[in-house]
Amino acid sequence: MYKVVIGLEVHCQLNTNSKNFSSSLNSYNSLVNTNISPTDLGYPGILPVVNKEAVRKSLKTAIALNCEIPKFLSFDRKNYFYPDLPKGYQITQMHNPIGKNGYLMINVDGVDKKVLIHDTHLEEDTANLNHYSNYSLIDYNRAGIPLLETVTEPCLYSVKEAISFLEALRSLFLYCNITEARSDKGQIRCDVNVSLMKDTDTKLGTRVEMKNINTFNNVKDALEYEIKRQTEILDNGGKVVQETRRYDDNLKMNFSMRSKEDAVDYKYFVEPNIPKIKISDELIQNIKDEIPMLQYDLVNKYINTYNISRVDANTIVKDKKIANYYDECIRNGGNPITLANFITGVILSHLNKFNLTIDKINLDVNDLNSLIKMIEEGKISNKQAKEVLTKALEEDKNPIYLVNSMNISQITSKDEILKVVREVLEENPNLVKDYHDGKRVFDYIIGQIMKKTRGRANPKLTADILREELENSTL
Amino acid sequence: MKSNNSILNLRQKLDNKEVSSLDLFTEASNKAHMYQDDYNLFVTIMDEKIEQESNSILAGIPYALKDNISTKGILTTASSNLLKDYVPVYDATVYEKLKNAGAVLVGKTTLDELAMGGTGTTAHTGLVRNPWDKTRQIGGSSSGSAGVVCLDIVPYAIGSDTGDSIRKPAAYAGVVGFKPTYGLISRYGLFAFASSLDHVGVLARSVRDVSLVTDVIKGHDPKDMTSLASDNIIFSDNLDKDISGKKLFYIKEICDYNTSNDEESKAVLDNFFDVVKKVEALGASVCEVSIDKDLLNAIYPTYMSISCAEATSNNANLVGIHFGNRLGKDSIEDIMFETRTQGFSELIKRRFVLGSYILQKENQEKLYLNACRIRRLLVEKLTSLFMEYDGLIMPASGGIAPKFDQKSDKLSDKYLLLENHLALANFGGFPSITIPSGFVNKMPVGVNITSGVKKDLELLNIANKIEEKLGYKDMIVGEDNV
Amino acid sequence: MIEKDKLKEYARKLMFDMEESEYDTLQEEFSIILKQMELIEKIENISLVEPMSYPFMLDDVVLRDDTVNNELSTHDLLLNADEVENNQIVVPKVVE
Repeated sequence: MYKVVIGLEVHCQLNTNSKNFSSSLNSYNSLVNTNISPTDLGYPGILPVVNKEAVRKSLKTAIALNCEIPKFLSFDRKNYFYPDLPKGYQITQMHNPIGKNGYLMINVDGVDKKVLIHDTHLEEDTANLNHYSNYSLIDYNRAGIPLLETVTEPCLYSVKEAISFLEALRSLFLYCNITEARSDKGQIRCDVNVSLMKDTDTKLGTRVEMKNINTFNNVKDALEYEIKRQTEILDNGGKVVQETRRYDDNLKMNFSMRSKEDAVDYKYFVEPNIPKIKISDELIQNIKDEIPMLQYDLVNKYINTYNISRVDANTIVKDKKIANYYDECIRNGGNPITLANFITGVILSHLNKFNLTIDKINLDVNDLNSLIKMIEEGKISNKQAKEVLTKALEEDKNPIYLVNSMNISQITSKDEILKVVREVLEENPNLVKDYHDGKRVFDYIIGQIMKKTRGRANPKLTADILREELENSTL
Repeated sequence: MKSNNSILNLRQKLDNKEVSSLDLFTEASNKAHMYQDDYNLFVTIMDEKIEQESNSILAGIPYALKDNISTKGILTTASSNLLKDYVPVYDATVYEKLKNAGAVLVGKTTLDELAMGGTGTTAHTGLVRNPWDKTRQIGGSSSGSAGVVCLDIVPYAIGSDTGDSIRKPAAYAGVVGFKPTYGLISRYGLFAFASSLDHVGVLARSVRDVSLVTDVIKGHDPKDMTSLASDNIIFSDNLDKDISGKKLFYIKEICDYNTSNDEESKAVLDNFFDVVKKVEALGASVCEVSIDKDLLNAIYPTYMSISCAEATSNNANLVGIHFGNRLGKDSIEDIMFETRTQGFSELIKRRFVLGSYILQKENQEKLYLNACRIRRLLVEKLTSLFMEYDGLIMPASGGIAPKFDQKSDKLSDKYLLLENHLALANFGGFPSITIPSGFVNKMPVGVNITSGVKKDLELLNIANKIEEKLGYKDMIVGEDNV
Repeated sequence: MIEKDKLKEYARKLMFDMEESEYDTLQEEFSIILKQMELIEKIENISLVEPMSYPFMLDDVVLRDDTVNNELSTHDLLLNADEVENNQIVVPKVVE
């Protein structure tokens, strides 16, 4: 057995309105070559102008990742020739990233882990190359879209940890509202590096890198494939070559791209067209105040304060909007445990079934709380409440209105129940006699009352009242 | 010979309806064509007058633009084969400002390819000749812009300056060349050579004209993050103040007769010290200041390292993909390779190899970063001197415009301090101006004055008063000057 | 002295080639500049100086507001292009 060591680089497109260094629209679903400016195309004489919002969102992420924030913002050029890079260099942050030496807490199977973040830095995306059989076409819409790259230390020791980290990071992005995080649109892309070492080794093994993997499932497959590949090499007494390999998600295999010797020297140097920009303590504080409680802390809060299960807590925090909804219900006096039960059950299955988000359904927190209160007050059963809620969601109706109009709420009024009890006894005088004669008719009479109220009479109350009526009755 | 076509004179003539802007344009464009074969000053001469309505002082007055400034719809080649057919799709800010001011573009002037060079000999359209003597260079890289002013084709021309590219050819052509503080004029649309050293500036026949034009084209530009706000400053209103009591200095080690080994450079120094006397006669003082010779010797290699490093990156967009003269066809690499191999001249390629070597991982510390460190030492030295002095006054060059066979852009192993010191102003972004100061061997020479960052107003005032005293204002090419 | 083959390799990485005689010139230039840079290394305490990347520091840099302006039309983009298909730039097939 070998110890697996994984490091990740996660590229994430920021959801700003405009691009990182130009005012062109930042969008993935426009007609080809419509979101372009001279700057995106790298025409002679252009200059970059930094997008304030891209910087804010990057800072927000860096702070949320517990990173050290530099006193000044600055950028560097990464120089290489490729047809998707119109300027011949990419503006990035090599020397002075917007955040470094941070960490993100994750929980893998109930065990906490601190994932070390080497750095997170702001850069720009490249153009899109569309390949055909004989030629390629270039669409520059993507060129210049702000890209935040987050780099972990090689500190993930299993595929599971790697995926957990990716999910936690994605959740952080969404909680901080810095990206739409649609991996199907390439908004989140990963580079992974893997090395294997013997348990007795003290030095990391030779690392192999795989670039530009689109979805977390593909990351999982790629890692598993590569771990297997390296294991076989080592088992056979071979040596792993340091190289970059390309993972093909159709073939589910990877192929050698270039070895260490062919590594490009990017000749980084400071981007002179962007002056050093002071990052004030005030700005950092302002942004800090905007960061909501993140997944890991939220799960712990739910477990410790609300006493709900880790499974439910994990389910709720997965979607920030659902967590917000849950919090909102609790703020309005709802019962955390029952709420968790309803949200992870009826509500979530409705959302999944119709592929909706919680802000797209019409369920007022107060109505949900009222419905749950009805259970607590014994007005309706748990089962009834769930049926009502399902119906309310599917028919887009108010659940409280439904409870009333369906006449399902329990009769808890003493007077009302007494009225029915007396009716039943009057209609069946022989039963009173049987009772006094010691015959076992009590349950039968209850049945008659329930029949008359269509099951709505509160059972305990009904029993109490009936007992009293029978005892007090004379023949 | 003196020109009557100062900006103020032309303004008056236009306002009095003595001439129309069309007359001025036609005259300028005729002259441009007339001189083109002899001097090769233009890459493009405009066929028709484009003029926007404006009541600016420059309205209706013709001018020329260096051909490395982006003009929408007008060929802009940077005098490179690679861009011989390139028609920009956007306007540089400086061009936009001039257009809005009603200035009339006569043509785009020839430069050393991609503004990298100081000889005027590397343009894809051939060499630029000095109107004072056809057998001589005019210097560069703003070669054509200097030529069109000294031939009185236009009253002013826009140039760019990365090491001395405005101020050196200005000296060789007997005109005024000014590059203001870094950022005072937006660089948006100026084809980048070395972004941290690049400046847009003006060539004209007087300090006043240079000031009038700078007033129009300066200002903060949201498209250039390094540009400066200067809304409340009007340079042309501050030119006539008395400069007695002003303190200037020159650098002893550079103005040194012992290192001038020929008659010509001695004559240049004679001219300079003559100017110093005249400046002192204006009531200003001129002190001799000593700077560590090792540091001064580092100016040239420092300039080469930084400028070549930035240039190799800045020009990595010239690969023939969506613009530029695409050659090759077999593969992407083939296109890039053929486009660049055939598109660039030798000098450019040598500079790029040098620049990329300097930036290589294993060399960065020793070459690139050390150059950036020397830059700081030099700039800090000068900045501290500018706390004490109002300006640095120096000869603009070590000699007169060289013959074509005399000087090339090949790196020299000699420390030619008098030839290379102008780059100091680019290192620190200092405002710097060259004005004509007389003649050596029938060729014009100039003095250069440089001040502290954002001291452009004071600098232009000093330059104007010295210009008055020296008497070479409005000079154009002609025998009677000499 | 830097070998000529090295210089050729550097040029190739910059996507161009030069004439043999041009490499000779370049080789000379390299030895000159490298010699001069070596002298710089000898300047006292040079390694302690912070490298300078900008002429001077600006204290009030304004970042761009995140507003959209698609400045160029697709037509303008294609104006200088050699070969175009479906509003995109055609290049030989790029092999990854």
